[in-house]
Amino acid sequence: MAVAEFLLAVVLCAGDPAGGEIPHFDTEVMPVFTKAGCNAGACHGSAAGRGGFKLSLLGGDAAADYSTIVHQLEGRRINLARPADSLLIRKPTGSLDHGGGEPLEYEGKGAKLLESWIAAGAPRGRRRKLEDLSIEPRRAVVSPNDKSVPIRVTARFDDGRTQDVTDWTVFTAADSSAVEIDAAARTATVRRGGQHVVIARFLDRVLPLQFIAPIGDAPVDLSQSPRRNFIDDHVLAALQTLRLPISPPADDAMFLRRLSLDLTGRLPRPEQIEKFLADDRADKRERLIDEMLDSQEFVEFWTWRLAQWLRIRSGPNDAAGTQAFHAWLKRQLKERRSYLEIAEEMLTATGDSHTVGPANFHRAAGDARGQAEYVSELLLGVRLRCANCHNHPLDRWTQDDYHGLAAIFARMERGQFVRFGPRGEVTHPATGEPAVPRIPGTRFVEGKGDHRPDLAAWLAEKDNPYFARTVVNRLWKAMMGRGLIEPTDDLRETNPAMHPELLADLSTDFVKHDYDLCHTLKLIAASATYARSSETLAANAGDDRFYSHALSRPLEAEVLADAIADVTGVKDAYTGRASQKDAPETTADRAVRIIDPAVPAEALDILGRCPRTESCETPAATGGGLTARLHLINGPVVNAKISSDDGRLRKLMAAGRSNEEIICEMYSRALGRPPRDDELLHWTRAAVKAASPDDRRRFFEDFCWALLNCREFSTNH
Amino acid sequence: MRSEKDNAMLTTRCDGVTRRDFVKVGSLTALGLSLPAFLRRRAAADDKKLPVRAKSCILVWLDGGPSHLETFDPKPNAPVEVRGPLGTIATRIPGVQLSDCLPSVAGMLDRVAVIRSITSPLGEHNLGAVYMLTGYQPTPVLEYPTLGAMVARVRGQSDALPANIAIPSFSVGGGRITGQGYLPATCRPFSVGGDPAKPDFRVRDLDAFPEVTEERLARRRQFVQALDGFARGADTSENAGDPQFEQAYRLVTSPEARRAFALSDEKPKTRERYGPRTIGQSCLLARRLVERGVPFVTVTNVGWDTHQNLYTRLKEGYTGAKVGVGLVPLMDQAVSALLDDLSERGLLDETLVVVMGEFGRTPKLNTDAGRDHWPRAFSVMLAGGGVKRGIVLGESDSVGESPKERPVTPADLACTIYTLLGIDPALELHTADGRPVRVNQHGKVVEEIVA
Repeated sequence: MAVAEFLLAVVLCAGDPAGGEIPHFDTEVMPVFTKAGCNAGACHGSAAGRGGFKLSLLGGDAAADYSTIVHQLEGRRINLARPADSLLIRKPTGSLDHGGGEPLEYEGKGAKLLESWIAAGAPRGRRRKLEDLSIEPRRAVVSPNDKSVPIRVTARFDDGRTQDVTDWTVFTAADSSAVEIDAAARTATVRRGGQHVVIARFLDRVLPLQFIAPIGDAPVDLSQSPRRNFIDDHVLAALQTLRLPISPPADDAMFLRRLSLDLTGRLPRPEQIEKFLADDRADKRERLIDEMLDSQEFVEFWTWRLAQWLRIRSGPNDAAGTQAFHAWLKRQLKERRSYLEIAEEMLTATGDSHTVGPANFHRAAGDARGQAEYVSELLLGVRLRCANCHNHPLDRWTQDDYHGLAAIFARMERGQFVRFGPRGEVTHPATGEPAVPRIPGTRFVEGKGDHRPDLAAWLAEKDNPYFARTVVNRLWKAMMGRGLIEPTDDLRETNPAMHPELLADLSTDFVKHDYDLCHTLKLIAASATYARSSETLAANAGDDRFYSHALSRPLEAEVLADAIADVTGVKDAYTGRASQKDAPETTADRAVRIIDPAVPAEALDILGRCPRTESCETPAATGGGLTARLHLINGPVVNAKISSDDGRLRKLMAAGRSNEEIICEMYSRALGRPPRDDELLHWTRAAVKAASPDDRRRFFEDFCWALLNCREFSTNH
Repeated sequence: MRSEKDNAMLTTRCDGVTRRDFVKVGSLTALGLSLPAFLRRRAAADDKKLPVRAKSCILVWLDGGPSHLETFDPKPNAPVEVRGPLGTIATRIPGVQLSDCLPSVAGMLDRVAVIRSITSPLGEHNLGAVYMLTGYQPTPVLEYPTLGAMVARVRGQSDALPANIAIPSFSVGGGRITGQGYLPATCRPFSVGGDPAKPDFRVRDLDAFPEVTEERLARRRQFVQALDGFARGADTSENAGDPQFEQAYRLVTSPEARRAFALSDEKPKTRERYGPRTIGQSCLLARRLVERGVPFVTVTNVGWDTHQNLYTRLKEGYTGAKVGVGLVPLMDQAVSALLDDLSERGLLDETLVVVMGEFGRTPKLNTDAGRDHWPRAFSVMLAGGGVKRGIVLGESDSVGESPKERPVTPADLACTIYTLLGIDPALELHTADGRPVRVNQHGKVVEEIVA
């Protein structure tokens, strides 16, 4: 009788259980463990289990767990005669000492479900699989007055049944201070304005839910704000919802400096500034974008940027290849080759890496697994690493994907001569057998041959959601200072974009335009979103991700060093060789022209250049910060240059330029704009106090030093 | 009602007495704790003003993942492929053995605490290091600050010396961790940038450029402030200047700061005591800094990623060395000298010393006579301010594979370190966009090692 009551309760709570009465082990009992956290990595889900009881991580293996629970310890974990006395119930409800506390409420829903399952004889039941999981809502905009949203999760199984599984779904808010999930009331309450993600997990499915709540107090009307292309439509729509007002457009000088830094890595020259400010054609900004994309400086700077993405760096005895790779990459950009073709050529390259540039792509990582990680991060923007040892807990990636992708590269020979060799395999740790080559997340590939062309072909396939999105996200980040998805090598459904439709449209548009990097760069540069001022309003100052104003970001180490050289008129000479035996001595007169970051350049290291030994996604840790500050204050990088006899300052003084002329020229070079009247007045007044020529020299040295140490100079804003 | 997150974290909360705690109290008396004492202790965690047991912390970071089996948790009775090539020695604690490369530490084991049951799921350098150094598992949503940055944030910088200093540099976990997390850049560890073991050691760029006098530097600062002021527009109310520039300016213009880094002021005997190598002289410099009130110093010792030739790298230093100058003996000398020196100066009681890396090494030697990454069980040593003396907490199983008892997570460890430093783990800080984040979320104080 009691059992019947329990079952009734279960029916009421969990909807319609499969088979009518008896909870189904794989699809109803297992979720109880996951929901309570029993099979989490920190508890019984750890590789060694806990307290002699081991469950599969997050319930990945129902068969094993069934056996563990029902058969191990001679079945002592369950008590068929007195179900409520089963260890399986008494431990987690706290009636027996349990190292993991009381994850299950005494006589709560979960405990009762377990009890009724044991009462029924603890059967495994017939196989039943989850076919589809749907969540309502997947994306919710909450109103300022009512910030609670009901959530409902429905599972459809392969026996045709659908069930409400809300109670057994695990919800995890990425930011627990922003969204609170009330499991009993089955609601999500948004506590803070912004765009927040909650991850829902049921059985093996993981889905993100997005909640959007206004940040501003008062509605904003952005319907009349300027729009240049679809980027602006998407961004403004989101800002409208979030009630974030936009900063005014950047003036011409700010726009020019920003664009020049983003596309060419250089500050604009005074004559460029003068010409652009004087130009009164309506389409002058668009012309400027085209001009810059066509320039040699663009090719040079974006070769550097792509070399960062590709982590081009000489390995042991590998310096000659680095030169070839870099030269090849530069040619691709110069010829404005499609990014797809660039990727395909690298993926399928073979030959002498000292002459065949793209062949070095296969030497970036030491072995097949390393290459699988490198390729997935670079070309797909996903981190497969987790799936080396276990299926990725927050993504679709499995060990089959990881080792299958590695298997594609297993036969690569990575010496000077890169070729697809006769043998080589990758052992799948779960089976102990050679892993079967696999296009990640998609299909196994048949046959013994070289499957790199299959992989390359897949990049362009319609159902490949990664390749194009990863590139446009990186382009967006380079231009806007923050990716639509961050980090840019961690694309997954559970790490959704800030503006998902924008990313989708950018990516579709990129594909439609033959994967042309310049096309997308131009699209971004031409948008009103790109052209906003970096000056914030009181109401949008806290925004760092919705693009209500331009983001002010520090100049990258190489760009900063080059900018200092350009302002002071003293060139650098980066001469040296990487430590390798065959490394040729190389000279570069600009930091972005350095081909191999293994070439020593102390100043750049201090300023925080990326050594490219790993992904350059995160800023360098050893440089930058206070260390870089000290170097800019006391080091030669600024001091030696401002006082150099060949430097700009000395030359201007020797040419008899007036105080005002010098101030204006240095302002223009460092800040990309002429001084305002109040500034000019301030500095000319200060300058006339210098009595002797030596005083005057020192005054201007100090003035230039301050220009190179002020915030306006050292940021791209 | 508990929120979803709390449910998941029920077992590992840092504050608050849960129902389970009462259930467990019964077993506490066995540990010598009465219920009132237990509750008092828990109440202390709720009090916003925690006692400051340690004013400063010196973290000796063994980068790459030190082998627990060749340092603090040897397995002399295990099969040779587990035992490894090093021997063991007795310590001041009867029945406890350490690697025979740690004779000095063994001789003072009755004055330190060792945890042999640290456990983490993260066996990759960067991820493991982030977890150990922040107490949070890495997530793309938010970058957490490291222990030092947090201490700098909460304690603040009292004078010219930065509150968070790394010697020689903060090059940890593959070198991609800035340590700053969501905190301001001024909390980032300051890398001194030179090798204290070199005779010409000096902090890079601490000295003024030739011809730049103090007056000129002061004028340059004024000019920068003027330019930053102009850039902000008419708003002159905010006159503080760029915090990072100001921090750097204070440092370079302070004679006291310069003196703090002057290792040559130390007696030759003191310098010898720490050993001539980088780790020793770095520890000595760390002592000088905490003496002057720097609350957090990281000594970074690299090279512990011993996938190959573990014997040479850990013990000998070079093949065939008569006196071992490998990583372990050098660390032994440096750490023991540091503890003795601090103790003689009366500083040990207010200085917390922590020795750790991102994970341990695989129980079985690999085919290259090395050991690979192993985060499931490894060891950490603590000593000084607020730490119980002469305790070996927890135990790994017979081969050092898993914690056998008293597993301690990196979050617990961070929670403990913060607590000893008087920083409330429940303290809420805010990210730039206003998100509240606790100093420590998932950890629980390891009470057994607290004095």
